[in-house]
Amino acid sequence: MSVKRKGPKATAIRVLTYVVLVAVAAIVIFPFVVAVSTSFKRPTDIFTYPPSLVPKQDVTVPADQVGTDGDPVPVFTFPGRDDRPGEWALVDADAPLAEFRPLDDLERIIVLDAAAGERTGATITIDGEEEDVFLVDDGGTQVEAYRSRLTSGGLFVSVDDPDTSVLDLVNFATPSKEFGPRFENFSEVLAERDPETNGKGVGRSLTNTVLVTILVVLGQIITSILGGYAFARVQFRGRSTVFLMYLGSVMIPFVVLIIPLFQLMLQLNWRDNLVALIIPFTFTAYGTFLMRQFFLGIPAEIEEAALLDGASRSTILWKVMVPLARPAIATLATFGFLYAWNSFFWPLVIINSGNPDNAVLSLTLSTLGGRSSTDTNLVFAGAILAMTPPILVFLFAQRYFVENSASSGLK
Amino acid sequence: MIGIVAGVVSMLLASRTGDDELPVAIKLFMQVFSIVVTVAHLVAAYGVFRGIRRARTVSLITNYLLFVVAAAALLHQLGAFTAIGKFGTGLNKAFLPFLVIVVGLLWVLVAGQLRAKNPLAPGPNGLRKAGWGLAALAGVWFVIASDPSGMLSTIADRITQPVTIGTLLVAVGAALATRFMWQRRVAVHFGTTAAEEQTLSGLAFLSPNLIGFMFFFAGPLLFSLVVSFFEWKTTGTGRSFVGIDNYVRALSLDVSSADAANAGNEVLKPGYQVLMHMDWFGQNWVLGARDVEFWLSLRNITIFLVLAVPASVLPALVLSSILASRLPGMRVFRAIYFVPSVAGVIGVAIIWGQLFQSTVGWINYLILRTGEILPFVDPPAEGHPWLSSNSTALLSMVVVFAWMNFGFNTVLYLAGHQSIPKELYEAADIDGANVWQVFRKITVPQLRNTTFYVLITTSILALQLFDIVWILSTPEPGGPNNATTTPVLALYEEAFQGNDQGYASALAWVLFLIIFGFTFAQFRQQKDGATSGGVS
Repeated sequence: MSVKRKGPKATAIRVLTYVVLVAVAAIVIFPFVVAVSTSFKRPTDIFTYPPSLVPKQDVTVPADQVGTDGDPVPVFTFPGRDDRPGEWALVDADAPLAEFRPLDDLERIIVLDAAAGERTGATITIDGEEEDVFLVDDGGTQVEAYRSRLTSGGLFVSVDDPDTSVLDLVNFATPSKEFGPRFENFSEVLAERDPETNGKGVGRSLTNTVLVTILVVLGQIITSILGGYAFARVQFRGRSTVFLMYLGSVMIPFVVLIIPLFQLMLQLNWRDNLVALIIPFTFTAYGTFLMRQFFLGIPAEIEEAALLDGASRSTILWKVMVPLARPAIATLATFGFLYAWNSFFWPLVIINSGNPDNAVLSLTLSTLGGRSSTDTNLVFAGAILAMTPPILVFLFAQRYFVENSASSGLK
Repeated sequence: MIGIVAGVVSMLLASRTGDDELPVAIKLFMQVFSIVVTVAHLVAAYGVFRGIRRARTVSLITNYLLFVVAAAALLHQLGAFTAIGKFGTGLNKAFLPFLVIVVGLLWVLVAGQLRAKNPLAPGPNGLRKAGWGLAALAGVWFVIASDPSGMLSTIADRITQPVTIGTLLVAVGAALATRFMWQRRVAVHFGTTAAEEQTLSGLAFLSPNLIGFMFFFAGPLLFSLVVSFFEWKTTGTGRSFVGIDNYVRALSLDVSSADAANAGNEVLKPGYQVLMHMDWFGQNWVLGARDVEFWLSLRNITIFLVLAVPASVLPALVLSSILASRLPGMRVFRAIYFVPSVAGVIGVAIIWGQLFQSTVGWINYLILRTGEILPFVDPPAEGHPWLSSNSTALLSMVVVFAWMNFGFNTVLYLAGHQSIPKELYEAADIDGANVWQVFRKITVPQLRNTTFYVLITTSILALQLFDIVWILSTPEPGGPNNATTTPVLALYEEAFQGNDQGYASALAWVLFLIIFGFTFAQFRQQKDGATSGGVS
């Protein structure tokens, strides 16, 4: 599209263009922002409404500031209660108290000490039950009320004035929150599986994934270099037939191979072992094409000169061709990395005994974050750990990546 | 020469009897392979004795294959393959030293780059050495920390068994024979032609790749086709040839008229279940199938395809046209759009599961807020359960799929944009065409081939939908009420939960034929595109 135009109309179009681009970028980025924020949240913070992007923690004050001892005390406010301004520390969450309902307004609740109120001797019938009528203190005035419930609630002490205290139901107060990321989410999700410490065992899966990824990438690079060189530079009988077979193999969806590969792994006794995720995937038709295309682009004279000098083909390949092919190898490594790191279906099929020591990251996360998921904050910490390496690899290897995904169409 | 060949043959025969712990298929493979190799060896020995030129080729290939198989068997017996899995434990124990090794190697790489830029500076060379040193130190630390004693003792334990020693001898013998026959003076002795030499070295280079291709791709592919004609349980002995029964079972449909609108299975043939009810021309009809779940999955995937493919292609077409304009910042946007397709489906699905959450999810919250601002948006009173409602579960999958894939398609389109002649835009500019006209009359028609390609690849991807549904659907995979069941999910459940791998293979081939239809269309298009020169 033209960018040379000038004038107010062109400027308007340009602004509109950026608005569209930024809007789409926001749609792409927003879920990741949610993920990062959730991964730092506290368990109590997950199911608050409205949803928030800020990981929060309870505001607390030191216990001695409000005249008690022990752990720091959480702070609450009473929004809408002008008679209780400022912040209130919950020093006792289990204080005995009584709910009274004034006779002139039975919907209203007056919360007082369990021992408060004086019986007037009169009774009143509420819902078929006979109740004593009390004379209670309602903000300075005495009102007639009946005691609807004896329960336990919170004893709040004013943070500004520790001598003032009120009794109320805890759910009538709003906990004060402040920004507070919880870094333990990451250490807990990585820690060894243990219900006591809330460890989720993702650390083991992470190292397994690293192992699988490294070996798959190395294997793919080696076999693809050798195969690509053979297809590009060695004139052998049957080359075009074999090459056609390789081309055709790209058309076969992996679904067709799942069952026979599973049977093969059973025969080799590789089921439930990481090797089943490695060896079958060290051969890639796509990588072989990639290397072949690159080797075809290297001038034949270089090779012929070396051949005349008496170098063997393998010497030429490793000393001359491979150093030249670094960009192609980087591309191949990037694709291999993303494929091995993110693969899910095949691990799900073959690592199926439930032994967490053999699971890879994607598998563990799908179990953790599945339908009966608890500890959403930990699951998200795991998801962040799983997504960061491929995103970083993509950002660093973007040059190789974007160019070649366009030309190969491989997903 | 003959001695070596004969020796290898005898060792092979000796080792053949010992392998009785192996599973059936592998044992069968080994036996057939042994016979073939023995025959080939005898032929080669005869040829070598007579000095026939071809004999060297036969002998080389036989010995090489024998070496590969024997070496693989040796590694198998030593437990080297399964030890790779066990190595996960070591890596987990010694992850910190491993990271240090990686840092050391990266250091070496960076120093190497520096040296390449400025070969005379002494600094980078020292840095490079320091990097190697660091990696080596960390390597020692790694070995200590990963505690390999268990693995070593297993290997020591197994290596003393006679079968292992036999295999080792076969491998070494075959390797020596291969090495011997490969020599140049042997080639001269047999008068090998240059073409033969080329073929041999070509196959040698290709062999690691080709053997893997045969063993892990071509072989399994054939096996899959065979299994689809069997009743084949994962475990146990229930294996019998059933011809095309699996395919018939998958595809059988039955239509029957019924008196009541909600007639049940009884109006259908035995073995059929109700798929759907219809009301045509005042008459109630019942459509039944033998495999209801598979047909439902076909219905779902059709709906999914119709929604998800345009949703991931149309934004890509529009956005790529903007990104191709080379305004400042376009590379940044391109990178951002691409991120969802590399982030990994698990992480993405976990995020969207939370966004779709009915009570505290962002989607419902944002709709509610939009409803407050815009009068025409009518948010539901209660939080809508996107994933557990029959009507929106599949739609939610469409959203996630499109979100993941539009960026990739944008990049595919950007490649297409590069081939549009700039003169077209310049001419349009001179003619005073507006943005919409340029897009409609130049960009879209010029990108016709790219569009076709993108549509096909996205469709092929969509047809294989599994991961997103597996993680997001609720209360069970494919739920609610099979609203999100996909063919691959049906296949997975048949094969790995229902244990019916023969039938599941048949499903796989049915699915393959559907996908192949798309692939074939693309193939035809490419051919047409080549003949018409891409001018549109």
